[in-house]
Amino acid sequence: MWTKPWKMKEGFLIGGGLIIIGILLQILAGPVDWSCFAWPVNIIALIILLLLIGVMYALRKRVYPFEWMMHLGAAVPCIVYALSLTIVMGLCFQTETGGIPWLSRMLVFWPFVLIWTWMMLISGLAALNHLLRFKLKEIPFLLNHAGVFLAITLATLGNPDKKELTMTCYQDEVEWKASDEMGASEELDIAIELHKFIMDKYPDGTPKRFASDITVYTKGGKEVSGTVDVNKPMKVNGWKIYQYGYDVKMGAESAFSEFLLVRDRWIAGIYTGIFMMLAGALCLMLFMAPKPVKEERRDIQ
Amino acid sequence: MSWDVFIWFALAALLLWSVGACFAWKDKVKPVYAFTFAGLAVFFSFILWMWIALERPPMRTMGETRLWYSFFMPLAGIIVYSRWRYRWILSFSTIMAAVFICVNLLKPEIHSKAIMPALQSGWFAPHVIVYMFSYAIFGAATLMAIYMICFKRSETSARELDITDNLVYVGTAFLTFGMLFGALWAKQAWGTYWAWDPKETWAAITWLCYLLYLHYRKARPDNWRTACIILFVAIICLQICWWGINYLPSANMSMHTY
Repeated sequence: MWTKPWKMKEGFLIGGGLIIIGILLQILAGPVDWSCFAWPVNIIALIILLLLIGVMYALRKRVYPFEWMMHLGAAVPCIVYALSLTIVMGLCFQTETGGIPWLSRMLVFWPFVLIWTWMMLISGLAALNHLLRFKLKEIPFLLNHAGVFLAITLATLGNPDKKELTMTCYQDEVEWKASDEMGASEELDIAIELHKFIMDKYPDGTPKRFASDITVYTKGGKEVSGTVDVNKPMKVNGWKIYQYGYDVKMGAESAFSEFLLVRDRWIAGIYTGIFMMLAGALCLMLFMAPKPVKEERRDIQ
Repeated sequence: MSWDVFIWFALAALLLWSVGACFAWKDKVKPVYAFTFAGLAVFFSFILWMWIALERPPMRTMGETRLWYSFFMPLAGIIVYSRWRYRWILSFSTIMAAVFICVNLLKPEIHSKAIMPALQSGWFAPHVIVYMFSYAIFGAATLMAIYMICFKRSETSARELDITDNLVYVGTAFLTFGMLFGALWAKQAWGTYWAWDPKETWAAITWLCYLLYLHYRKARPDNWRTACIILFVAIICLQICWWGINYLPSANMSMHTY
């Protein structure tokens, strides 16, 4: 062990080491505080991560573990750990308070975060390795690994910047204020005027449609009118406006409508990753699957 | 309601699939295709009829997703057959389809026209269809793994591994489509593409299982038994994600229960 070439065993030991370090961090420093990654810390963290991957790649000939990280011996154990921890997450009810210590808040549990970070390092390195030795036939590999890296890394780092606010609008009133999940209210650069809340029902009484006729005003003087439906949000000034709620007691006669306003400046990067993964999945099926074995090898059976 | 006539469509389709499967044992290729595709056409016409009668895609209830699974299983079977001429694959896919048809006959779920606003989206159909297709493909891959473990104890052939690998590659591609279509839809419906909702967590788990298989097969091409075990773990996770989640105490707050 620890003699070249490293195999999976070393990968399992490194993963186990990361879990032990994670548990120690959890005890000493408490759960991961994602809010401290808010802008501009997250962009700095991203640059450091990319530089780190670049430096690791550059030093791969001199520092053997970096070379090893680009290969399957590192990838397989890492996926096993990520899979196991995610299964634990799936089995333990996830909640902000109470529940099982550590395991009910997996997203801020250090071992989970460290293992997924380790996975991003490995897939980032593998992607860079294929990018710099670019050949046409490497495109599928590159799309898959760079796509996963981009989508997960940017979604995680960008999450603290994401704004999710709810706004309650009463009929014929212009509302500028929205509140976050803690209840803190703030004035926005857009306002919503509710003209009418719409609720249609099926003959059996189950709801068929929730929508709101609204006009959106911006501080810049823009005015946009339209209907916001469930599944059909409206986009104004970088905000996406979603139909979110209504006065349940009053039903179709509800005097107010509740909207969810979302602003995510990282979405373009995340979507780039997602579309790379979609293209990569197509390639996986078309080009990466092993070719059918030739006739003569069929005789083995 | 059209559900009452399901049994006749199902019996006709099963009969055609069975005849096709019998011809596969006799290596009569043309009748295999003719009967299997006839069965698929009969079954799909029922799905289409439901779609029109319900005025919405028949994908809302578990029963409706089983309908798609029963359709995709023989389709996956005939694709495998067309490429590798495996005699037994159509018999197995027909049995699998029959099991799901029986479940639907014994436990029909109320199929009303109602579809909640959250599901009224252009993403609904592609999201469910690609998922069901990948589940069917993984079902076939699991059958291959069972076959190899149970009947090929000493040695397995390159061809069998080749089929299994190909199924997993195609299945993983469709699983990825299903998951990412879901993410794009969630952004449209709920404002967030990934929320670690229990169904999403189990979807990620299933996805990781098959990624593990793909990487492991490349890392250790000779340890095919371990690869088969990964497939067994994967199919269990897939079942938890598909319907097991409804019985999991950790998931009773899921936004995906309809």
